Amino acid sequence: MKKRAMMLMAAMMAVVLVGCGGSGGQSSQGQADSGSGSSSDSGADAGAASKDTLTIAMDVDVDTLHPSDFSTTVEHTILSQLYDTLMFMNPDGAHDPEPRIAEDYEISEDGMDYTFHLRDDVTFHDGTKLTSADVKFSLELYMDSEYQGAQVIGLESVETPDDTTVICHLDAPYSPFLLGVTQVSIASKAYFEKSEDDFVNNPVGSGPYKYAGREKGSKVTLEAYDGYYRGEAAIKNVTFEVIPDQSTTAVALKTGEIDFASIESSTIAQLAGDDAIQVEEVGNSGFTYVSMNTEKAPFDDVKVRQAINYAVNRENVVAVCYDDEAEVNSNICSKDRFGYSDDQPQYTYDPDKAKELLKEAGITTPYDLGTILVAEKYSNIATVIQNDLKAVGLDVTIDVKEFNAYIDDLTSGNYDITALEMTLDGDSQQLEMAFTTDYIGTANNARYSDTEMDELFGQARTETDTDARAEIFDQILTKAQDEAIYAVLCNPLTLYAHSSSLECQEFPYEGIYSIYNFSWK
Amino acid sequence: MYKYVAKRLLYMIPVLLGVAFLVFAILSLTPGDPGSIILGITAKPEDIAALNAEFGYDKPFFIRFLNYIGDLVLHFDLGTSYQSRQPVIQDIMARFPNTFLLTLISMSAASVIGISLGILSAVKQYTALDQTLVVVALIFASIPGFWLGLMLMLLFSMKLGILPSYGAGSLKAFILPSVTVCMTSAAGLLRLTRSAMLETVRQEYIRTARAKGASQKRIIWKHALRNALLPVVTTLGTSFGASLGGAIIAETVFAMPGMGTLITTAIRQKDIPVVMGSTLFLAVLFSLIILIVDVMYAFIDPRIKAKYQNGGKRRE
Repeated sequence: MKKRAMMLMAAMMAVVLVGCGGSGGQSSQGQADSGSGSSSDSGADAGAASKDTLTIAMDVDVDTLHPSDFSTTVEHTILSQLYDTLMFMNPDGAHDPEPRIAEDYEISEDGMDYTFHLRDDVTFHDGTKLTSADVKFSLELYMDSEYQGAQVIGLESVETPDDTTVICHLDAPYSPFLLGVTQVSIASKAYFEKSEDDFVNNPVGSGPYKYAGREKGSKVTLEAYDGYYRGEAAIKNVTFEVIPDQSTTAVALKTGEIDFASIESSTIAQLAGDDAIQVEEVGNSGFTYVSMNTEKAPFDDVKVRQAINYAVNRENVVAVCYDDEAEVNSNICSKDRFGYSDDQPQYTYDPDKAKELLKEAGITTPYDLGTILVAEKYSNIATVIQNDLKAVGLDVTIDVKEFNAYIDDLTSGNYDITALEMTLDGDSQQLEMAFTTDYIGTANNARYSDTEMDELFGQARTETDTDARAEIFDQILTKAQDEAIYAVLCNPLTLYAHSSSLECQEFPYEGIYSIYNFSWK
Repeated sequence: MYKYVAKRLLYMIPVLLGVAFLVFAILSLTPGDPGSIILGITAKPEDIAALNAEFGYDKPFFIRFLNYIGDLVLHFDLGTSYQSRQPVIQDIMARFPNTFLLTLISMSAASVIGISLGILSAVKQYTALDQTLVVVALIFASIPGFWLGLMLMLLFSMKLGILPSYGAGSLKAFILPSVTVCMTSAAGLLRLTRSAMLETVRQEYIRTARAKGASQKRIIWKHALRNALLPVVTTLGTSFGASLGGAIIAETVFAMPGMGTLITTAIRQKDIPVVMGSTLFLAVLFSLIILIVDVMYAFIDPRIKAKYQNGGKRRE
């Protein structure tokens, strides 16, 4: 009797184990298959029933809706719907600024004064008129902000000669100022003075959508503002729902519970084959790269750094770690960004050349390169790189750390070589954070210090002529590539999945979208 | 009895102080500071320093700890979150009701299913029913929660389309997460109840009861179950307390804002006030639940009740 029970149990356990393993392995296909049948009709139902509402998934909740003291992409995204800016500027560097609250602008000859002429028909969500005093207040809010102060670097004072004119005085010419200042959320001074608490928790903005409510940890709701100066938005009610897990996001997209989500490349497989869902790829200047501590041997040798640049198979990194949803690029400046040129050197996969360079550098392989330190989420990149380096005779061991501990080591230079993703968005001037002496200890992870490089970025900062500025960036980027300061691998794409019946128009570079441009077909 | 309860309540003070100190110390020892975590790697050092000063994080560890305890004891203030710059109590109150409801539903269901099937299994020991129950329990005890959750979601949300796949907006949204949490706990309780019952029925007093001619029903319910329940109630109490800390997996899979995700996110962001506030809040609840469990012993087992009542006297 007992023996029979044991055998029965063993048999059942085997079934369970096989069951678990099998389903786990095939779950992504299984989900894609099972979903395409049932969800397309439920998705269509949901779409038909809700033509003027939109539900968007966000992976984390917003911590704050303060117009200047925010730090995350999700917060930025929601604030962009609530607050309008002086102008809209696609940060790819190829577009002229479009009018928003300001109809046009002038820059003085010396590049020190920026004058904005405001529309006089802009109102806040409480119906009050937006004037130059509100713009001045908002700019000063940014100037004092530890969070977003970088948007208005160089701004010394703001002058408001009349209700529709704002003059920004700079302390020195700073050409990226325009892109930064056009991203400032314009908030109401009177509303702030009435209640600072409401200003944050019950925001009254100037944008196409007004704040309708919030449930901490789960959702934020917005409503179209009927007094918006460009006309009321097509989609009337918008809900941002917190869904931290990507698999859940995929299921909710397929059931039609949500209409729009930012997704990771690994989620695409789950959505593939479902005609009710469309995936959008948006270019991004963020980059994945290998950083070498140039203060330490052998990374202080340019030949070693070049060898590592040649040794890495970037196509493979993109295929393995990004499911092909990234653009191969060894240049720290993305291809759609101001300053990039195809004439600047690119590193391609060439292990033989890498070995040759190592020999020239006097390195006898196999050589122990030390430890590649990574945060947990980049450990797959480290594994690919470890293999590529091994192929040219360089041995590294992988050390994985918790993110905050990793950042501590990274910024204090307590590492040999590492791989990570970085975003230095906005104007190309931001790239100075990766190269100039001032930023050692923050984003200059190579701890690279070179007076010529510092000077070049200094020139780019004050040069107002576009062609001359492009020329300076060409020198900077060529120098960065020649000296192989980093081994940049690729620019991962920003991915959005949405219901096929949603029309989104073009997404701006970097991907902070405006729901005002969305409509149901 | 009252004396015992009062004494236990007083014991909670050093326990809570200990919890507070340990959590505070561990958090302060972890790398990173809130300013640089919030502002990121591209931030200017002076902005990071300014933000840390705003949080009071620039002060030494003991000063910060004393300030925290001072605010807590004198003003019942759990502090302000570094991330949201809003009172911590708001974060807790936004999430605790969800966690409490989830715990209540899943633990009640688990105890009904687990205990009744456990008794059934023990009574029918070595029958096909018993064997099936044991194996099914083993399966559910071994299935990882996230997998079970996803499978339930695929079946009930995507295939059948009858239940929401995420959220905490309606009671319906609680069904799938509750089932996910309940299955694992029920399986554990079934196994525990079964073995406790089997242990008890071998005791001499059961043989005595049988010998004096008590009915099988009376033996099971009156004699065996009451004695077998002690370890079951202990486990139920601790797991109820523990699940108030949040079912992180179910919360994450079903996007339900609960205590588990609140605390894990706060730890990652080094949001010390949120971690402290939530752990202390949970520590108080946990201590109270354990106290209730201990008091319940007295009602289940008269021997223990007698001990409580004599305990005071004997010492005098």
